Amino acid sequence: MNELKLEYLKLKKKTRSWLGPILVFWLIMLAFPLTVEFMQDKLEIGFFSVLWIAILISMMLATEDIFIEDYNDGSLEQTIIKNTSFQFLISIRIIVYWLMIGVPISILSFIFSLGTSEDLLLSISVIPLSIISSYIFLNLFALGSALSLNKGSLLGALITMPLALPVLIVLGKSIIAFQLGINYLEFILLLLGCLSIIIIAVPIIVSFIIKAHLE
Amino acid sequence: MIKKFIHQFASPKTYLYQVNRFYPYIFYSSLVIYIISLIWGLFFTPEDFVQGNSYRIIYLHVPASFLSQSLYLAMAVASVTYLVWRVKLAAYLIIAIAPIGAMTTFIALISGSIWGIPTWGTWWQWDARITSTLILFIMYLGLISLHNSFSNFEKADKLTSWLVIIGAVNIPIIKKSVDWWSTLHQSASITLTEKPTIDVLMLYPLIGSIIGFLGLITCLVLTSSKYQILIREKTKSWIRDYV
Repeated sequence: MNELKLEYLKLKKKTRSWLGPILVFWLIMLAFPLTVEFMQDKLEIGFFSVLWIAILISMMLATEDIFIEDYNDGSLEQTIIKNTSFQFLISIRIIVYWLMIGVPISILSFIFSLGTSEDLLLSISVIPLSIISSYIFLNLFALGSALSLNKGSLLGALITMPLALPVLIVLGKSIIAFQLGINYLEFILLLLGCLSIIIIAVPIIVSFIIKAHLE
Repeated sequence: MIKKFIHQFASPKTYLYQVNRFYPYIFYSSLVIYIISLIWGLFFTPEDFVQGNSYRIIYLHVPASFLSQSLYLAMAVASVTYLVWRVKLAAYLIIAIAPIGAMTTFIALISGSIWGIPTWGTWWQWDARITSTLILFIMYLGLISLHNSFSNFEKADKLTSWLVIIGAVNIPIIKKSVDWWSTLHQSASITLTEKPTIDVLMLYPLIGSIIGFLGLITCLVLTSSKYQILIREKTKSWIRDYV
């Protein structure tokens, strides 16, 4: 619990790190209607594609400095020496990032979806999808950030982006499945299955990668 | 025991001498097999009753697709070997395979696109198999750029190995994509468990072309790995004797 509180306070202090991605998401969703002729049906066609891409980009931005500051000031080395499990601390950090960035973005996704589609059930169906996908994306980009720790976050994002593409495909199919009234829950279960593997695997792999950087 | 075995037979010096010994045999036999299979497939097999002559691109497309995935799997095995047993040769092989894997994946994508025009009426479709193969191509490029971004070879090897292992998740997705999703791409014609759905007249040259292409690509990997060894072991005394 102490670690959770500590990570929360650290992130809270870095306003740009948590507010920036949320504002970028907000701006993309606000700017999107301006690029389409103002007709409701045209907005609805592209809305969900833009939504998933906006979540992806926001999560990419959110993980930009997830480890780099601690790497530069030497606290990562100290954390590894500490008795607490390093993997556990990485998991906690990702959870805090998700709570402060992923969850607000998921709520915003619901609001934007409701405003665009005017369909409450469809908008409610977006919430679990955005909650799960934001967590998956955060984990993947945290992995990328760890891989390219002192080489800039862009490289990390580029090398882990291909792993996020299957998730985007599933997200697109989930909405179609919901609209057609078929298999929506199966897609949710598929995403949860991926998430359950990622939650366990990513912190372990990230800890090995960071140790490799520090050797 | 496994560690001792691997270290004994995977020293760069032993590998280099063994490669030089077997290389000509692999290269010339593969070249002959591939040329014979190509001539057989292109000129002596009947036309397909639906696709006409356009199907003959399988003698390039299928071997390239098969190898694009196989090379990634080889990299994944080499990555595990490197991370678990710290075998240097495995690290050299990873970065030797990556550009060749990217090349075979590119050939698979391009030949698939060319085949797509007469059969599907389009160059490209965001189909599960094609998209996952494109992801594989981007993964190869990502691996190469990650490795090149570090001047410290050891660190680059370790990080690249981790990325290879993570990216291996894409291989079963590519393999099963035609079964899991309803796709334009046909399902596999040759499997280990079922009877081939392709006629034997087309099957034999196809198997020949896969074996020939495999041999030729193996030769490319061997040459590339030799180059890696020469760069990475250049300070060692045995390299001076070798050169």
